[in-house]
Amino acid sequence: MFDQRFIRNFSIIAHIDHGKSTLADQLLLKSGAITQREFREQILDDLKVERERGITVKARAVAINYTLDGQKYELNLIDTPGHVDFHYEVSRSLAACEGALLLVDAFQGVQAQTVANAYAAIESNLEIIPVLNKIDLPVTRVDEVLDEIESVVGLDTEGCLRVSGKAGIGIESVFKAIIDRIPAPKGSPTDPLRALVFDSKYDHYRGVVTYVRIKEGSICKGQKVYFMKAGTSHEVLELGQFRPDMVACEELGPGQVGYIVTGIKVLGNVHVGDTVTDFHNRTPTPLPGYEIPQQMVFCGMYPIDATDFERLREELQKMSLNDASFSFAPDTSEALGFGFRCGFLGMLHMEIIQQRLEEEANVDLIQTAPNVTYQLKLRNGETQFVDNPQQVPEGGNIEEFGEPIAKVVFILPSDRIGPIMQLCADRRGVYKTTEFLGPKRAQVIYELPLAEIVFDMYDKLKSITAGYGTMNYEVIGYRPADLVKMDILVKGEKVDALACIVHRAQAERRGRALCKKLKEEISRHQFEIPIQAALSARIIARETISAVRKDVTAKCYGGDISRKRKLLEKQKEGKKRMKQFGQVEIPQKAFLSVLDANKDD
Amino acid sequence: MTSRASEIGLSNEARPPAAAYFHVPFCAHRCGYCDFTLIAGRDDLVGDYLRSLDLEIQRSRIPLGTPLATLFFGGGTPTHPEPAEMRRLFEMTRRYFHVSATTEFSVEANPLDLTDEKIDLLTEMGVNRISLGVQSFSQQALKLLERDHCAHDVRDVMARLKSRFENVSLDLIFGVPNQTLPDWKETLERAIELGPSHISTYGLTFEKGTAFWTRRERGDISAVDEELEREQYALAMEQLPAAGYEQYEISNFAKPGFECRHNNVYWNGDEYWAFGPGAARYMNGRRETNIRSVLGWLARLERNESPVADSEELDREHRARELIYLGLRRIRGISRASFYEQTGFELDELCGPSLREQVQLGLLDDDGSYVRLTLEGRFVADRVVMEFL
Ligand SMILES: Nc1nc2c(ncn2[C@@H]2O[C@H](COP(=O)(O)OP(=O)(O)OP(=O)(O)O)[C@@H](O)[C@H]2O)c(=O)[nH]1
Ligand code: SF4
Ligand SMILES: [Mg+2]
Repeated sequence: MFDQRFIRNFSIIAHIDHGKSTLADQLLLKSGAITQREFREQILDDLKVERERGITVKARAVAINYTLDGQKYELNLIDTPGHVDFHYEVSRSLAACEGALLLVDAFQGVQAQTVANAYAAIESNLEIIPVLNKIDLPVTRVDEVLDEIESVVGLDTEGCLRVSGKAGIGIESVFKAIIDRIPAPKGSPTDPLRALVFDSKYDHYRGVVTYVRIKEGSICKGQKVYFMKAGTSHEVLELGQFRPDMVACEELGPGQVGYIVTGIKVLGNVHVGDTVTDFHNRTPTPLPGYEIPQQMVFCGMYPIDATDFERLREELQKMSLNDASFSFAPDTSEALGFGFRCGFLGMLHMEIIQQRLEEEANVDLIQTAPNVTYQLKLRNGETQFVDNPQQVPEGGNIEEFGEPIAKVVFILPSDRIGPIMQLCADRRGVYKTTEFLGPKRAQVIYELPLAEIVFDMYDKLKSITAGYGTMNYEVIGYRPADLVKMDILVKGEKVDALACIVHRAQAERRGRALCKKLKEEISRHQFEIPIQAALSARIIARETISAVRKDVTAKCYGGDISRKRKLLEKQKEGKKRMKQFGQVEIPQKAFLSVLDANKDD
Repeated sequence: MTSRASEIGLSNEARPPAAAYFHVPFCAHRCGYCDFTLIAGRDDLVGDYLRSLDLEIQRSRIPLGTPLATLFFGGGTPTHPEPAEMRRLFEMTRRYFHVSATTEFSVEANPLDLTDEKIDLLTEMGVNRISLGVQSFSQQALKLLERDHCAHDVRDVMARLKSRFENVSLDLIFGVPNQTLPDWKETLERAIELGPSHISTYGLTFEKGTAFWTRRERGDISAVDEELEREQYALAMEQLPAAGYEQYEISNFAKPGFECRHNNVYWNGDEYWAFGPGAARYMNGRRETNIRSVLGWLARLERNESPVADSEELDREHRARELIYLGLRRIRGISRASFYEQTGFELDELCGPSLREQVQLGLLDDDGSYVRLTLEGRFVADRVVMEFL
């Protein structure tokens, strides 16, 4: 067991792209956890989606050793994602640490997630070390950024480090600050075991792998442990640390971070935030655990091939082991059959999960357009939360339609305040405050309907501010609004999976946009296909897909037979990836077009 | 005739095919819409071609003197090489195959190539069917299609062919950019006036890799409107039968007794030999296609390698499905009885629901013994047959 006086646990937190993973690379390299030969950029971003998109999606814990003044230390670092959709990963990581490195890009300065993540670290009572990163950039704003850290985040910049993860500048100072300033973990090795489950994943060979941070007591191989929330007991078959790959060890003591394998096969039995204790010597008090994250957007996911339903369930369970922040529940649609209603923390989160499902699990999916959760007050006095437009009862039964409202914090160049205020006004926003952060930057706060921001506000902000604006939001409650359910009829029949909830004032415009979009997505058939948008029984928009009038191969002689047949077979194969609705085939993509049509152009 | 042969054909697979196709890949110039296997302006290669063709036939190990019911020379332009070369070509093939007076012996020809000398040669070699690449009688269309002849040339050559050949077919193209319905009507009328025994009408398609494709991408030419193309096709299906040319396939019309027997082999799902670059054969249940590059084909044969680039052997069910796709091209359709005899599958068991759906859509007609495309179905035949693949 490692002497806990020489253990330091910290997370690296920052706004997206401020260089967390790149600094982690240097910490791994300079401590010898990886060799120069093993080195590659953002080595901890090992998911395919992470490498493709160049962002961190999953927090990653690594144990490294570093010797300072002749003393060997064990440093457990957690590299966290910066994107707002993965904030839950950050808050979970912080609970496993005593300190945090708060990185701030020396040119971009304090941004929306810098503030949000710093506050989260402050609330967790962590020792925060501010670090100005990317000082190698040709243009930096060091003094201004230091002012921003003081005034906006409220941290003393006296001991602020100045480093470059990419150029490897100042890395020793980072090690030294971690060791000198972050407190060693407390917790007695002789107390009953208490370990926090802060993550988990499904490993093909080992089954469920549980990530733990030991608070008190210790875990060793062969020990019988008890998961307090799940109420299950297991023998520890293997335990170890991430270095960065899983390396087995004999024992983990207070303060240490690692993994345990217990042969758990039932996927639903691991809960992030659970407390692991000794089966025979149980602690009376579980750790506080985590708040259950609030999903922001919901969509349906249906296997294209109906026989994949059970497999999809299993894959969703595996995925949720590795990502506690999304939810799923069985759902049926007349149009799409059996599937799941899934909840996500944001659009990027949704895209990533869908991509991971298709790539890692190899299930072809049809995804419906996402929407937020609505609160319905019914005439009979009941209150109902609806995350699926299909569940909205007939208009006559609804007393009040409530939608989620978010408090949105924008940080942006002062000269862009006008356009942002215009955008927020168009989107039914309620203005709160403006605060100037320095000569050229400001923080603007609005309350906006969540549905007006989750889908595309971030893109809009980026284009209005030429990339310099950032935003953060949190849901603060529900407010009544004049909302209606819009149905879509294809060839006279309602397609439930295309229904959506819109503001009455925008219904006609969106109905028209949606019909137009569907006309592009659905290919022509042998007959005419009317597409209509309707509020209750009233048609508010209509388009018609004309029938194919001529489609015939002119020549089919000896040399053409195989070639043309294969072409037709391929075309037919393409049709299999569509859903048959009555006589109309609707392609996968069409269901998502509801979303595009709901964005303004 | 051939259909009979096919019905026996499958139960008696050892019998060699009685149909053969030769591909002659030479043209003076590549027309802008054409994506056939050919090499334009390289007449110097004809000698090599003849040598390689001889090798290919030899290596196919056909039983010497195999009798042919039908023999077809297509291209390219089989009438493009010099008379002496053409003679070598025909003589060579007749060394391997037995061609009799009952053999349908077709040659595709370009109107301007047909000098009296070449006509004499064709007669002497036993050719009894000429398929003439006329395409249009409108000067404007001919120019756009980059054809070297004019309407007058066609009348002239028809006059000279008349006394020698009872069986002459004209190829016509509709859907030519800028072609109006009256333009097309005129072309049909002129063709009928000349009294050929057979007429084929093809809707122009823009094939990837052709000059037309590029020109269309550039916006230089545009395909005719779908509705107009449909009317043009409809006009052919109305006008030609009225003049005594019965439609027997999607693109083919013939006076009674003059259907192309060779092409019927394809739509019957019968087997056939084939030689030359890009040629496709169907033998022992295998479909094979030769490499499409003329130079590649030459090189492979010279190096003693197989010229086959693609081959597939379909299982029973796929063969049956393919037969639907081919059989529906014929206007008389598919006979339930011979389908079962030929494939061992009952049509309704194999694809009852698709069948009923297409009937319901008014695209197929089902009289209990035959299933065929309706008039409406012919316009969208690809969509219909796709349902059965
Ligand atoms: N010039 C310079 N560029 C850097 C430095 N550190 C990181 N970068 C670049 O900044 C970009 C983002 O780096 P990452 O390390 O992936 O940033 P991150 O904070 O981990 O990003 P997320 O995990 O997605 O929030 C990459 O293009 C890096 O090459 C630095 O010190 N100097
Ligand atoms: S003459 Fe016929 S084969 Fe030759 S290029 Fe023109 S269209 Fe093609
Ligand atoms: Mg990262």
